This record gives sequence, structure tokens and C-alpha cells, in this order.
Amino acid sequence: MMALEDLVVREEEGSKMEIDIKNKAENKLIFIVDSVDVSFLNALRRICTMEVPTITIEAVEIYKNNSTLFDEVLAHRLGLVPLISDLESTESILVPEECDCEDHCPRCSVSLVLKERGPKIVYSKDFSPTDPKIKPVYDTIPLLKLGEDEEVELEAIAQLGIGLEHAKWQPTTACAYRYYPLIKLDKSCEACGKCAEECPRGVLEFDEKKNKIKIVDLENCSMCKTCMSICEAGAIEVMPHEGKFIFRIETDGSLSPEEVLTSAGDILAGKSEKVVTFCKEGGS
Amino acid sequence: MIPVRCITCGKAISAYFDEYKKRTDNGENPKEVLDDLGLTRYCCRRMLIAHVEVW
Ligand code: SF4
Ligand code: SF4
Ligand SMILES: [Zn+2]
Ligand SMILES: [Zn+2]
Repeated sequence: MMALEDLVVREEEGSKMEIDIKNKAENKLIFIVDSVDVSFLNALRRICTMEVPTITIEAVEIYKNNSTLFDEVLAHRLGLVPLISDLESTESILVPEECDCEDHCPRCSVSLVLKERGPKIVYSKDFSPTDPKIKPVYDTIPLLKLGEDEEVELEAIAQLGIGLEHAKWQPTTACAYRYYPLIKLDKSCEACGKCAEECPRGVLEFDEKKNKIKIVDLENCSMCKTCMSICEAGAIEVMPHEGKFIFRIETDGSLSPEEVLTSAGDILAGKSEKVVTFCKEGGS
Repeated sequence: MIPVRCITCGKAISAYFDEYKKRTDNGENPKEVLDDLGLTRYCCRRMLIAHVEVW
């Protein structure tokens, strides 16, 4: 047995893993990971959705609201508005559990004030944040409608939190992975072209000149296996590529996909480190 | 009022509603407007398509 003192964190162990960016757009990232297993990737995915902190409106002090929208409905709507939560903006804000105040205080929260008079539609851009960095991601979210002589005056308290507690703190809107497809064509193929005709995703193409099937868009294959069931010769086989995945992550704009993944990696590393410390020193 | 987020995936679809409404009212094809706004999932698309503003 290896002595515990010899235990070192071996960074090179993870280096077999390869990541390739496939598609990157605003708040969206699709990448291909190779040489990795489901358990690791799923841990990462779950941390991305559930444990990466963002800042969101948690309490609303309503001073005046004579609009047709009830206070609680209005407060619920406000809670769902995504706020910019990148590290630079939230660095100085404490997590509520770590703050020694009773409810909320300036150290663990920021406030956004809303004061409007109708008739108008109040949008997320109408908030006046006390911290200019913490503001709604989108300016165009309609919050409520005010009629003639209707008024709203409130203070919204935003705090850090995680998706495990409430979905409004989830930074991701879509975060999932699927197996990378592997399509095998056998010599017994009779070049009838049926599989290419039936594929719903345009993955296969029948090359008439060479009289054979070509794979033209492998990554678009959903592994529905329609091609397999249509092939009478049993010449085509679709299966998952072991250890290779297509990972898609989209965020609500509070954080960028890269920030979510970085943060998730950090959280996972923190958990692993606790285990290492425990093994070396015992207890925490 | 349109829900702030898509009830299925959580995307803040309400941010796109005004533009969607304006463009479809001007006779643009809803399919093309939705594609253009980057609302690709059908859960988000139905939020805008099915919404009726009553007051
Ligand atoms: S259906 Fe089967 S036999 Fe026909 S082209 Fe496809 S793989 Fe070949
Ligand atoms: S599994 Fe489905 S999507 Fe993939 S190649 Fe076959 S028919 Fe096309
Ligand atoms: Zn506090
Ligand atoms: Zn959706």
C-alpha cells in the first residue's frame, strides 16, 4: 500500500482529455470532449446547473403598488429577471450564509430601485441599481403595465445563491451532453441508397458516381437508428463513440458559458481537495 | 403579460417579445423572426407563438 505522505495530486492524469470547440456564439458554447467518462462529465454538468452561484432578486420591499398586478406576482416576476453575475461584479458580495447579519445588509446584497408612474409599460431597463455593475442582462423584459395614475415604488434586494435552492439562480438554460455518434458501414452494403433517403437529419448521402454511401454530417446524427432498421443487408451500424461526447451549454446571460464551466471546475476541484486533505490529515 | 422566462428551459424569452410582436405585426413570417432572434428550441418558440396579451 502506498503511504499517504506520498500522495500527490497528479495533474497529468487528466491530460488525456481533449476538448475541441465546435460552435461558439453569444451565451452559447458547443464543444467536443474526448477520452472522458460519463460520471465525470455528468458531475460537471450538474455543478454547472446546480452549484455555480449567480445573483438574483431575493426579496422585494414594495412601498407602493396600485397596478393590476398583485404584489406577490410582481415580486415573482422580478425574481426571474437575470442579473449580470460575473466574478468582477460579484467579487465583493458575501454569500448570505457567510454574512453575520440577520436578514440582509449591504455586505451580502445589492439593491435595485424601481419607481415609475403610469401610463406605461415598465421594463427591466427602468431599474436604478445601487451598484452599476449589477443590472439586468436584458433591457427589454416587460415587468408590469401601469395604467393612468397607477404607481409602483419598490426596492428589490438581490443576493447570491445557487440553483439547488431555487431555479432562478441557475446560470444555465440548456446544459447537456450526448454521445458522439459512430457510424460503421460494412462491405455487405448493396448501395441501394435507402438509408440516405430515410435519414431524418441528412447525415448520409448516396454518392452516385462512386456508387456508395458517404457520411456527410456525422455530428448531426441523433442515433435514431432509422438507417439501421431500413437496411435489409444489415450493412450499417450506428453506435455511441466510447468516451467521446458533444457538450452543449447555454446560459441566461448572467454568466458566460466559459465562466460557468470555470466556476464548475473550481467547485469540483474544491470538493476533491477536501477528500485529499481528509486522507492526508484526517478530518477537516 | 408574457412570462419572464420560458417555463421549460428558463431562457429569458420575454426580452424578445416586443420585437417579435412588432415584426410579426408588420407581416414577417414568425418562423423567420424566431430563427433570427436565436430562439431555436421549440419550448421557447411556443412561449411567443402561443402568448395572447389580454391586458
Ligand atoms: S440501406 Fe444498407 S445496403 Fe442500402 S445503401 Fe444503406 S447501408 Fe447500403
Ligand atoms: S442514426 Fe438516424 S440520424 Fe444517424 S445516420 Fe442513421 S438515420 Fe441518420
Ligand atoms: Zn449581510
Ligand atoms: Zn425554452
